[in-house]
Amino acid sequence: MTRRTHAALAAAIAATLTLGLGACSKNKNDDGSDQASNGAGITTGGNGIIGGTPVKGGTLHILSNQDLSQLDPARNWTEPEMDFGIRLLYRTLTTFKAAPGKDGLQITGDLATDTGEPSDGDKTWTFHLKDGVKYEDGTPITTADIKYNVERSFDPDLSGGPDYAKKYLVAPADYKGPLKGQELGNDSIETPDAKTIVFHLKRPVAEFGYTATLPTFAPVPKAHEGGTTYGNHVFSSGPYKVESYDRGKQLTLVRNTYWDQSTDSVRKAYPDKIVMDQSGSPEGIADRLIADQGDDQSAIMYADMSAAKVADVLTNPDVKARLVSENENCTAMVTMDTAKAPFDNQNARLAVEYGIDKEAYQSAVGGPALSDIATTYLPPSLTGGTAVDHFKIPTGGDPDKAKQYLAQAGMSGGFSTELTADNAQKPQAEAVQAALKKININVTLNIVDASVANSTIGDKDRQTGLSLNGWCPDYPSGATFLPMMFDSRIVSDTGNLGNTSRFKDPSVDAEIDRIQGLTDTNAANQAWNALDAKIMDEAPSVPVTWQKKPLLVGGNIAGAFGSPIWSAEIDYATIGLKSAK
Amino acid sequence: MTTFLLRRLAGIALTLLVICAVTFTIFYLLPNDPAQAFCGKDCTPDHVAQVRQQMGLNRPLIVQFGNYVWAIFAGRTMGSGSFAVHCGFPCFGYSFQTGMPVWSMITDRLPISVSLAIGSAVLWLAMGLLAGVVSALRRNSWVDRVLMIGTIGAAAMPVYFTAMLLLYFFCSQLGLIPYPRYVNFTDDPVGWAQNMLLPWITLALATAAMYARMTRSSVLETLSEPFVRTARAKGLRERRVVNKHGLRPALTPVVTMLGMDLGGLLAGAVITEQLYGLPGVGKLFADALHKSDQPVIMGVTLVASFFIVTSNLVVDVLYAWIDPRARLS
Repeated sequence: MTRRTHAALAAAIAATLTLGLGACSKNKNDDGSDQASNGAGITTGGNGIIGGTPVKGGTLHILSNQDLSQLDPARNWTEPEMDFGIRLLYRTLTTFKAAPGKDGLQITGDLATDTGEPSDGDKTWTFHLKDGVKYEDGTPITTADIKYNVERSFDPDLSGGPDYAKKYLVAPADYKGPLKGQELGNDSIETPDAKTIVFHLKRPVAEFGYTATLPTFAPVPKAHEGGTTYGNHVFSSGPYKVESYDRGKQLTLVRNTYWDQSTDSVRKAYPDKIVMDQSGSPEGIADRLIADQGDDQSAIMYADMSAAKVADVLTNPDVKARLVSENENCTAMVTMDTAKAPFDNQNARLAVEYGIDKEAYQSAVGGPALSDIATTYLPPSLTGGTAVDHFKIPTGGDPDKAKQYLAQAGMSGGFSTELTADNAQKPQAEAVQAALKKININVTLNIVDASVANSTIGDKDRQTGLSLNGWCPDYPSGATFLPMMFDSRIVSDTGNLGNTSRFKDPSVDAEIDRIQGLTDTNAANQAWNALDAKIMDEAPSVPVTWQKKPLLVGGNIAGAFGSPIWSAEIDYATIGLKSAK
Repeated sequence: MTTFLLRRLAGIALTLLVICAVTFTIFYLLPNDPAQAFCGKDCTPDHVAQVRQQMGLNRPLIVQFGNYVWAIFAGRTMGSGSFAVHCGFPCFGYSFQTGMPVWSMITDRLPISVSLAIGSAVLWLAMGLLAGVVSALRRNSWVDRVLMIGTIGAAAMPVYFTAMLLLYFFCSQLGLIPYPRYVNFTDDPVGWAQNMLLPWITLALATAAMYARMTRSSVLETLSEPFVRTARAKGLRERRVVNKHGLRPALTPVVTMLGMDLGGLLAGAVITEQLYGLPGVGKLFADALHKSDQPVIMGVTLVASFFIVTSNLVVDVLYAWIDPRARLS
C-alpha cells in the first residue's frame, strides 16, 4: 500500500497535523532521546500493554471522525480496517498472534488448523478447517465459502481489496468473479470436501501462509452475497456480529453467540458490545479522551491524534500513561526519478542520500513522539523487529560527504531540481529543500493537492526529479515491499504508483525472482535484507522516517497495544475494559 | 401570473441543467481518476482499465452525461447479473464507496442539516432582529454603536475560530456541555438539543450581523416614510407606530434574505458540520470529495442547487404576489 493512500485515511487530521508541528518537535530533539528508542514506540505498563488484562463484559466505545471505507472482506485493504474486520467480524485461514512487538509478527492457524501445508515446491498450498467453526446463524463455515470470497476478489465491481489472489493463483486472465456467473476450476482452487481447500499457484510462494492472513481468505456464504453493498452488512464468522450500521454515524457490534472461544487461540473478545461512533470531530475526540469522563473512560480513538494534541498529552504524565504510539512500519521516502538526469547518476543520488537532514524531516512530521528516523527501506517489522542502519550517516546529514559524491558525479557546482509533495507535506518538503541547499542543490517545490499527487508522480512526463512518497508492507515479508517498490517490470508511463523512482537494475529483478522462488522463509528473509542493502547502495530513494500512530485510550481500558501488523492501530483482538461496571 | 411562473420554472430547469453539466465536466477534467481510487493500491493498468469500463467511465463524456440526466427522471438498472438493482426516480446513481443509492444517502443526512439550518436560523433571527430594531430606535446612541460593532465583530470571526473558542470554553474549561456528538432527535430530544446548541450558536453568530444591519437600515428607512409621519400625525402612540406601521414593511427584505440563506444551508453547512462531526449533507459532501465518490458529489451538488433556486423562486413568487410590478422583471 502506498504511504499516501495510507496517509489519506487520516486526511481529516492532516491539516491539524501540519499546523501543530513545530512546537513539540524542538523539545524532543534537544533531549536526544529519540536515537536510543529508534524503532520503538511509546507505551507504558507491562510489556507495552496498557491497563493489564481486561475483564469480560461491558461496552467498548471506539471514537472516530469518519465512516469506515470498506468492511467487505474482498475489498478491505487499509490496515486499521483490516484490524477491525479480521479481529472482530471475520476469521481468515491464518492470522497474526495478538501481541506487541516481535511476537505479534508470528502467524498461527485461525479457521485453518495450521499455517498451511506446502507441496509441489511451494506451488500448492493445502489448508484444513478446524471443527466447530460457525457463522452468526450457527451454520458451519465451509471451504467452499472461502473459495467463493477469493473468487469475489477478482471482480472489478468489488475492487479495492488485496490483489494477492489475483497475482498468485492459477486463473484465466479474463476471469471476472462469481457475480458474473463464473467459477474458478479445480486447476485454481480445489475444495475436495467442506473442510479442505487447496490453492494452486502460478509460481512458488514460500510465505503463502502469511498471504492467507489477508481478508481475501475469509469466508463469505453465497446465500448472503450482497454485491457492492455486502460491506454494509457483513455476515459474521468472528466473535462479534453487526447489530446496526448507520453509515457515517454509528456501527454497533454485539456478540456472535456461535463463535466458540475454544476454536480461536487469538481473539479474546472481552467486551459484550462494541460501539463505533463515527461522527466525532478529531479535536473533540482527543479532548474527550484527555478529560476521561463517563463513557469516554471506556473509549479508544480510531484515527491518529493531531501533533498539537500529542504535545498536550506528553506534558501530562497521567494522560501520557494512556498513550499508545507505536511504529506504523511504513517507510516514508524521498524518491528520485532515476530515468532522467541528474538522478540517472548514482553519485548524484548518493549526494542526496548524504545531504538530507533526517532530523529536520522528523521535526517536520512532529518529532520523535510521532516518528522514528528510517535508515533502510525495510521497516523494523521486516528486519526482525529491530531497525537496521545501512549507511550510518549522522541523522542531521553529512554535507561534506555529500559534496564529495557531487564532485564524483561531475556536478561539484550543484544543480537545480524540483520536488513534488502534497499540501499536507509542505513542512517535510521544506526540510528537504533547506538541507539540499547546503550542498548547492537548489530545489523548487511543486506542492499539489493530495488528490492529484499520485497521478502527478506516476506520470513519466510530469514527474519531477524528487518526490515524497512511501510504502507500507501488507504482512511482514520483504515480498510485500521490495518487489512493489523496485522491480523495474512494474513501471508504467502513467499511473505508476509502486516503483516511482523508475529504478531499473536487471540484477535486482533477477534477485527478486530468485528470492520469490525460495522455499525456506528464513533464507528468503535474509535474502530480502541483503537485497535491501544492495538497493540502498544504489540509492534510488532515501528512506527518511517511520511514522508512529499516536492513539489515546480511556482510563478504564485494558489490554491496549499498537499492532505491529496493522500500522500500529490498537489490536482489537485483546482490547477490553478494566471494569465492566 | 401563470406565464411568470412557467417562465421561472423553465429558468430553474435550465439553471440546474447547466450546473449539472459544469459539475460533470469539472469532475471529468480533474486528473484524479476515480477508477484508480476505486481499484486500490498497487493496481495494474489493465485492472484499472477493467474497473473504468465497469464503472462506465470509458464512454464519451456526452453519453455519460446524457445517461445521468435521463436516469434522474426515468431511473436505470445498475450492475449486472443477479445483483442488478433498479434505481427509481429520482435516481442519482449509486455511491462508488458504499454501493448505496445516492438519493437515500442524502435523504438520510438531510434531517441533520435541516435541523442545523432551522435551529440556527431561529437564533440568528432572534439576535439579528432584536439588535437591528433596538439599534434603529436608539440610533447613534452608545447602545447602537455597541450592538453594531459587536455583531460585525462576531461576523468577522471565521466559523472554525468561533467553534474552537466555544468548544474550549463550554466543553473543555467550564464543562457546561459535553463535546457535541450527533444524537437522534427521536432517541433523546434533550440530548439532541444539547448537542446541537454549539453548532447553532456558531452558525448564528456568523450570520446574525447581516440581519442586524439590514433590519436597522430597513427600520430607519421605513420610519422616515410619509405614512409613518401620517400615523404619528394622527396621534398614535409611538409603540403602536413602530410595531404596527414601522416593523412590518421593514421586515420584507429580511424575509427575502432568510429565504435565500435557508435554501443555501439546507444542503449542509460543510465547515460547521465537519467541525462538530455532525453527519449531515455537508459532511457527506466533504467525505465524498475526499474519496472521489463522483455520484455522491454530483447528487449533493444538484440537490443543493435545487434548494437554492427553489427558495429563490419562492421568494420571487411571494414578491410577485405582493407587488405586481415584479412580474414584469
